[in-house]
Amino acid sequence: MSTFLEPKFLLTLILMGTIVYITYLTKRSATASDYFVGGRSFGWFTNGSAIGGDYLSAATFLGIAGLTYQLGYDGAYYAFCFSIGLTLLAIFVAGPLRRFGAYTVADFLAYRFHSRRARLAAVAVVLAISGFYAAPQLLGAAQILSMFFGTSYEFGIIFTCSVMIFYVGIGGMKGTTLNQALELWIRLGAFLLMVGAAIWGGLHYQDILASINEFKGTITGTAGFTSDGKDIPFDGSVWTGTGNYFPSFWQTISMTIGLSLGTIGLPHILLRFYTNPSAKAARRSALMAIGIASAFFLFAVYLGVVGRSIFLTGEADPAVMKDLIAGGNNMVVPSTAQALGGEWLLGLVIAGAFAAVFSNLSGLFIASSGALAHDLYATFFRKNITEKERVIAGKLSIIVLGVLYGVLGLMVKEASIGHLVALAFTVAASTFTPIFILGIWWRGMTEKGAIAGLVLGLVSSMYMIFFKTTLPEFLQFNVPGIITVPIGFLSVYIVSKLDRKVPSDVNEFMKQVHSKESEAA
Amino acid sequence: MAGEYREYNYVAADTIDVSELEPLDPETKQIMKSEFSTGIKLTLFYYVFILSIPILNWYAGEFMFSRMWGGMTYSWFFTSIVAMAMAFVIALIHTTLYEKRLKNQAEQSPAPADGRRIG
Repeated sequence: MSTFLEPKFLLTLILMGTIVYITYLTKRSATASDYFVGGRSFGWFTNGSAIGGDYLSAATFLGIAGLTYQLGYDGAYYAFCFSIGLTLLAIFVAGPLRRFGAYTVADFLAYRFHSRRARLAAVAVVLAISGFYAAPQLLGAAQILSMFFGTSYEFGIIFTCSVMIFYVGIGGMKGTTLNQALELWIRLGAFLLMVGAAIWGGLHYQDILASINEFKGTITGTAGFTSDGKDIPFDGSVWTGTGNYFPSFWQTISMTIGLSLGTIGLPHILLRFYTNPSAKAARRSALMAIGIASAFFLFAVYLGVVGRSIFLTGEADPAVMKDLIAGGNNMVVPSTAQALGGEWLLGLVIAGAFAAVFSNLSGLFIASSGALAHDLYATFFRKNITEKERVIAGKLSIIVLGVLYGVLGLMVKEASIGHLVALAFTVAASTFTPIFILGIWWRGMTEKGAIAGLVLGLVSSMYMIFFKTTLPEFLQFNVPGIITVPIGFLSVYIVSKLDRKVPSDVNEFMKQVHSKESEAA
Repeated sequence: MAGEYREYNYVAADTIDVSELEPLDPETKQIMKSEFSTGIKLTLFYYVFILSIPILNWYAGEFMFSRMWGGMTYSWFFTSIVAMAMAFVIALIHTTLYEKRLKNQAEQSPAPADGRRIG
């Protein structure tokens, strides 16, 4: 079979072709509203699919099943923590944020306080979170290309960044949203087929869990792929409970807090609520995204169990066994797909994995582009910028971001996708989450309070992540949400209470973000 | 349609001491109170469920990691199946109550609210 007729090439090329076609159809961004928020024209179905596409990144598509495969219950617990956040976002933030109706996340702070300083602080945090989140997505893309197409890791990073520069730079928010919606359904389709194939093949959840938990001994057929030439030993007992990855109760709680509150602060997710035509549509979009995400997490955990079951029996194709060992936990979904449905299902999963990476990265690119072009350049350097120049600045900023994220991607070659994303969630939970919750529901939040919250939340979370070993042992958390999230909330509250200077029109702001909507009539 | 900004630049605003702030108008106050009250009740319920899983895992591990269905333990069932459904159910209840409230408000007073203009 010609290389390009192999399912993995063919389906990936079809995906690329579709992206190019959608991008071409939506390339005209006449106004900043078109470019940054898609003209606020997306209904709940399209936007709900796009939010799902944005949220369910490579970390979900590849990482959650991989973590479950590797860690057992602790991996499933990761999925549980990721599943909480969108619900809280729907309850407290989605509707009011759409009623506010600006272009970027930083707009919220800038308008809430009429403050350039607040905007600048928000830009720094948007770029920090987006960088944290983009690096593991690029890692996932480069690993897929390397494993299944034989390219180098560096090529994978450059290729993915190039696709992103084209896709987001030309299509803007309109093209990005439609591509994200389509890409979500490709992934969901791939997962549904895998789940169907696993059930059809008799890999029933409760039975394979039992066989994994009871397995003790060595895994046959693995010796040829290990460095010491011996079959891998496995003890099922390590898979049955928590404590393998989270060594203490407080580590578990810290992770729960960090991940459950992180979603509210993710700039690329917050931004999506500006693209709805109304607050009602924004809430429905969130509901739809939650439904899709819940199904996704359920499938991901099950497929991690299926992957482990296939690995333990040692009866899979040697190529699959090799991939499961050499590819590590990030490559469990493709390898399992190959074992379940052969080359075509593998092809669909590879296309789905690219879709996950592109979908999430495009959201990050557009959020960061807004921060650079709209919040930084147009506010601080070119105040009298025209509509057209604003769009051009947005497009040029995509190139800058492509280079920046590419460098970050090269730096995280050996990392775990799921864990890096968990850290991005922690930074978001410690910075934007307090700002948005308190900014929407508490009139007493002051400009100084908000900036203090952003700065202390960012510094504390970064320090606890990067310089963990300098801290006393009881403060060394894998995901430090239990310390950094209260720091974020308390610093906003305490500084606001001390400052007491609120904008004189804060009541008007509250009226706008909580007012009745005309579409209800 | 929800509020829409007409200009990008914002104007400087005076600040006042929070103690001198006028009370919110009764309508906005009522909307905020009712939305927050629904939201916080659902969130508290949700977090009791969410936090009960790790607490039980660590302090009642024998029960939580005992088998309930084939090789599936109680903990696995609540973490990877019930929790996923719970996320959607909580959001569905919230959206349904919100739309019901919106409908009631619209019936009482159909006039749209003014947007706050900046710039």
